Amino acid sequence: MLVDLIQQLFNGLVIGSIYTLVALGLTIIFGILGIAHFAHGSVAMFGGYLTFFFIQSLGIGLFPSMALAMVAGALLGVILERVAYHPVRNAPPINAFIIALGLTLIIEKSNLILFGVDQVIIPTGFDRVFEIGGVTFPELRVYILVIAAVLVIALTILIQKTWMGMAVRAVAQNRPAAILMGINVDAVSMFVFGLSSALGVAAGVLVGALFAVAPGVSSGLVVKGFAVLILGGLGSIPGAIIGGLLLGVSETFATAFISSAYKDVIAFLLMIGVLLFKPEGLMRRSATR
Amino acid sequence: MIRYVLILAVIAGAIAFPHLLTSNYFIHLAILAMIWMIVAQGANVIQGYTGYVSIAQAGFMGIGAYSSALLSIEAGFPVWIAILVSPFFTAVASLIAGYPSLRVKGHYFAIVTLAMNMVIFIVLVNWIPVTGGESGLPGIPAPEPIVIGDFELNFLRRNTYYYLVLAALALVMLLVVAVVRSRVGLVLQAIRQNETLAEAAGVACWRYKLFSFVFSASLAGFAGALYAHYQAFISPAPFSVDHSLNAILAVILGGSGTLFGPLVGAALTVALPEVLRVAETYRLIIYGVGLVIVVIFLPRGLYPWLADLSRGLFGRKDGNGAEAHR
Repeated sequence: MLVDLIQQLFNGLVIGSIYTLVALGLTIIFGILGIAHFAHGSVAMFGGYLTFFFIQSLGIGLFPSMALAMVAGALLGVILERVAYHPVRNAPPINAFIIALGLTLIIEKSNLILFGVDQVIIPTGFDRVFEIGGVTFPELRVYILVIAAVLVIALTILIQKTWMGMAVRAVAQNRPAAILMGINVDAVSMFVFGLSSALGVAAGVLVGALFAVAPGVSSGLVVKGFAVLILGGLGSIPGAIIGGLLLGVSETFATAFISSAYKDVIAFLLMIGVLLFKPEGLMRRSATR
Repeated sequence: MIRYVLILAVIAGAIAFPHLLTSNYFIHLAILAMIWMIVAQGANVIQGYTGYVSIAQAGFMGIGAYSSALLSIEAGFPVWIAILVSPFFTAVASLIAGYPSLRVKGHYFAIVTLAMNMVIFIVLVNWIPVTGGESGLPGIPAPEPIVIGDFELNFLRRNTYYYLVLAALALVMLLVVAVVRSRVGLVLQAIRQNETLAEAAGVACWRYKLFSFVFSASLAGFAGALYAHYQAFISPAPFSVDHSLNAILAVILGGSGTLFGPLVGAALTVALPEVLRVAETYRLIIYGVGLVIVVIFLPRGLYPWLADLSRGLFGRKDGNGAEAHR
């Protein structure tokens, strides 16, 4: 029983770390721009497909391909911000949300045209399995956890220690004041979209290595990302980390011990419970602090 | 004055429609369009007038459709009763779901309702003994024929069902007009414009928001029942999140917070896929691009734009004709 628990806990943390990466991108965008960037999941899948394409056709390894895809994803994010979201920045928030829905359609279906309808599994070659005291740790899952942790730490340093990170936090805290202090809000917006999209692509690659990149995965991914935001509090980075891990763990526990068909229902019940008793989220503070 | 003439013309056109275009295909599309108009009008009440975006309308449509179908198949109720009772089932479901979710605002609320729709969908797929799962519920009866002397209204005929749905749409329009023009409707619009101020003025906003949510869900449930008895077969697919998004798009495209905008929008969301008969994938891309362009360049939607245009043409300057204006 204890072995089972630890096994499920490990599995849950692995899934949860991917949710965290998705949610981090969403939460930074929300914190800075107040946009529910629904197309984030499609951008992640675009990156997953692209990584597979690089590995197959350029013959380069997993990590260079992933890095290239993250750069491409960041570019895509900047383009989306400039072309689609920027024009509606002063309109009611619902407009940006509808734009996001439109972008989701465009990117999702472009993925189909560019990469075909088949699901692809990103080859990693990490096939070993470690076993400690009856608990199995597949090599791939360990690396996923490590990669996610490295990215989260890198993001935290970027936001906390660099000049650009400081500008991002300033805009999140008080937009008008940041503008008066001479911060270029447009540049910050583009930076945030690039950064978030790169993180999203990383999540997409990890999903593609662990499960598969396929049409239809993206909407599930983005909804989980938003569920994490509700758990952790919109715009909060620690909230996204805690919320993501919590969602992943509760989901695997629900699958293992209750019912796999209803695992998403349990995740959403958790969300509604948080809303009832702590509607500001578990870790809500001022955005991206 | 011109406005009433136009409304009468549209009603006359709708009544004459099955006799002008006798093709079954067009009548089928018109029936679907009117069912979607009811859903969109429901979405308009919560989204357009109250300012809360609910992404659960298709889910509630599903609750209405399945409860009406099950009441008539399993419980043996007459179809008329089933159709009239199913909105109340939907109302109860939305009351339970709305209470916790209306504690939060804005994007939070949208996301929670989205999750709600996913839960409804998961239950429809997995509660196989009752819903039949993915393979759906076949053999849903049409409403019983109405016989008056020698004259028989047979609802298995498409034309007859067309008039049933048209009547239902007219009823819904009257209800929505009554609500929107009432004190409750004014409070809802006050909530959309400034909830804090409304609260400070002594309005118990949560009651009005809950009413708005339940009312809009009930309309969706009613539309779902009409859909079930028209198609004679339902499966979970039409009640997924994608279709909730469709309802939102209909409201935005047509013009949110206007009485006629959602009708225009719903007709477009049904007609566009049929007109753009290129490969499905390309069509959806065009759809997405169109959506982005409309939101950037016509943020109020098509109907207010058309209304302004016609006002310009008829040279009216007073501008209080349409309640299109926020």
